[in-house]
Amino acid sequence: MAHVIRSIALLTLLAAVPGGSRAEPPIEYAVKASYLYKFAPFVQWPAAAFAGPSAPLIICIAGQDPFGHMLDDAVRGQRVNGHPFEVRHVDSVRPSMPCHILYAGGGAAEALQAVASAPVLTVTDGGQGGGIIQFVTVQGHVRFAINQAAAAGNGIEISSKLLGLAVKVTR
Amino acid sequence: MNARFLLRRLMTALARTPTIGIGIASLLLVASLALAYHNEDQARVEKIREVEAQARVLAASLTGPLAFDDQTATFEYIEAMKASPEFDAVGVYGLDGRLVAGFARSGEPLPRTNTVARSTVRGNEIVVAAEVEQGGTRLGSVYVGAATESWARRAGRYLGIAIVLVMACLLVAVLGAFYASVSAANRRLEAEIAGREEAEEALRQAQKMEAMGQLTGGVAHDFNNLLMVASSGLELLERTTDPIRRDRLKDGIRQAIERGARLTQQLLTFARRSPLSPEVLDVGKRIRSLQDLLERSLREDIRVQFDLAADLWPIEVDPSQLDVAILNIAINARDAMPDGGMIRIGAHNQPAAGDQRHDMVRISIRDTGSGIAPELMEKVFEPFFTTKSVGTGTGLGLSQVYGFLRSSGGEVRIESRVGEGTTVFLLFPRSSQPLPRTAARDLSFNRAKHHAAVLVAEDDEHVAELVCEMLRELGYNAKRGASAAEALRILEESGPYGVVLSDMIMPGKMNGLDLAHEIVRREPDLPVVLMTGYSEAAASAAAEGFPLLVKPYTMETLGEVVGQALRRAPPQPVP
Repeated sequence: MAHVIRSIALLTLLAAVPGGSRAEPPIEYAVKASYLYKFAPFVQWPAAAFAGPSAPLIICIAGQDPFGHMLDDAVRGQRVNGHPFEVRHVDSVRPSMPCHILYAGGGAAEALQAVASAPVLTVTDGGQGGGIIQFVTVQGHVRFAINQAAAAGNGIEISSKLLGLAVKVTR
Repeated sequence: MNARFLLRRLMTALARTPTIGIGIASLLLVASLALAYHNEDQARVEKIREVEAQARVLAASLTGPLAFDDQTATFEYIEAMKASPEFDAVGVYGLDGRLVAGFARSGEPLPRTNTVARSTVRGNEIVVAAEVEQGGTRLGSVYVGAATESWARRAGRYLGIAIVLVMACLLVAVLGAFYASVSAANRRLEAEIAGREEAEEALRQAQKMEAMGQLTGGVAHDFNNLLMVASSGLELLERTTDPIRRDRLKDGIRQAIERGARLTQQLLTFARRSPLSPEVLDVGKRIRSLQDLLERSLREDIRVQFDLAADLWPIEVDPSQLDVAILNIAINARDAMPDGGMIRIGAHNQPAAGDQRHDMVRISIRDTGSGIAPELMEKVFEPFFTTKSVGTGTGLGLSQVYGFLRSSGGEVRIESRVGEGTTVFLLFPRSSQPLPRTAARDLSFNRAKHHAAVLVAEDDEHVAELVCEMLRELGYNAKRGASAAEALRILEESGPYGVVLSDMIMPGKMNGLDLAHEIVRREPDLPVVLMTGYSEAAASAAAEGFPLLVKPYTMETLGEVVGQALRRAPPQPVP
């Protein structure tokens, strides 16, 4: 609970920074940051995507980073199938880049293009379309839609448990 | 030791005392209680496992809803759990351990944080926790509390079985006790029966000896007469030279001796202690064989007459008991005729007719005595009932007759008129068995044919001398050995012999029977004839299958038996 409150306070601070396209409710990003790494257990990457059994699962943030250190805080100490999380902030994305999850923030459309058909789970915010998982807001709650066809195209599998929670699944 | 033997031993042990039956029943009870406890424990472990499985299923279902804060889905799962009355409390906890959703049906509320490490039983509740995780990432936990079955319900479930079990144990105990008491009673009964059989055996012998005792006086008297004839005959024989007179005297002596021999033979047979053994016999022949004994022992003023039908059916009875019965009745008849009279013994077939459903053979013994008073008629068959003075009778005579007839399946009737006489009827059922074949007497005896050597083993000097003399007279070469050992030596040194004639009772290590066995072992083809004056020895010789000469015997009998033995053996060279 404590870290959520801290995150909210931080987000509030960030939101006050001028230059932000529009002040996002900071709580929304705290939730999204937590979701971002929680997708990982429900996703199956091809074995070749990892260098070894304890190689890190890399979350890349391209474009505008709305999370700040909230994401770093959320993944600290967490593991998925033995893989620790690693968060990288990238300016541009190349297919050779070892990303497992790519959050494409505002203005990162080319990043999505770069990893098309690579085993990467792409996540975007609703308005910016194109990601395998798109965050949407339903009645004030953060939910998500899943493009299963795109996932299949990238060679990753998404658990039916996650599909069941999506507000929309594109097959 | 096989299982059957063990079982029999167990049953015997069970029979000995009812405590063992009760012990087995208690053991059964304890064993079933232990089994029930074990079952109960198993059931508890299974129940825990079941709740654990359900908690894991719930945890697995909650991964998505818990990871992505889907309250609706979480509540749906919890509602599903709530539908089952089995679950008292279900709680879902987030990653930080705080309660997300849940219910507690009764009692204490859900813990604020999930601290359950492993499944435990708290009173009537099983508490189980399970991690909610996906892909190795912990997402939260669930808490499930399920009610165990209450003691009352479990007891109710076991009560029926327990009642049946207790009844079964009681039954085993009661049966054990019952079996023990029955078998104890049976043992007592068996002992009693054995005792009674012994007593009956003794009574039969006593009855026989009683009859014998009654006869002894008469027999002794008769013997004195025979001895008188023999001794005076010999004396006269020495004094006369008239061949005709000498022949007549010799005839008289021979007849007296023959009668004496027959009498002693009958007395010996009669007195022999033998178990009750029925055999199929010809009644007429058997009664006729009693003639000598009856005529010479009753009294001189009593005549015995026989009226025996020629074609009597065979009956199956113990022969010596039949003799005793007839003698007992004859003795009673004698005592009823103090002034002399006549005893008429008849035997006739009585075919089935009217009330009588079987063919019977009827023996009647009629006297011309004083008769029995009607008021005494009912009592005459009672043991120890007697009208005779103390010292003359024991009252066992007619009770023997009654017992014998009953055990033979026959019946006894008495008709009597005071002053005219009494008739006793003995009715025996006809036997379906044929009479045993008796070897036809071989009458082809011819003294001129035989010149074989006979070895006589006899310890008595006088008897041996006479036997050898008789054998020589019959045309045999006779040689004597004074003992079994000597006979064997002679047999080895101066054989071959055509037949060995041996006394049964002889001094030394070997008796006649041993000698006979030894000879059969050495020369299986050499016939052995045994001779004896003792009825017991005669019986054992007959049992072994050796031909037998019963002392005293005549030269004719000797010739016949030796001749038969020789003819049965393969031809022997004449020395």
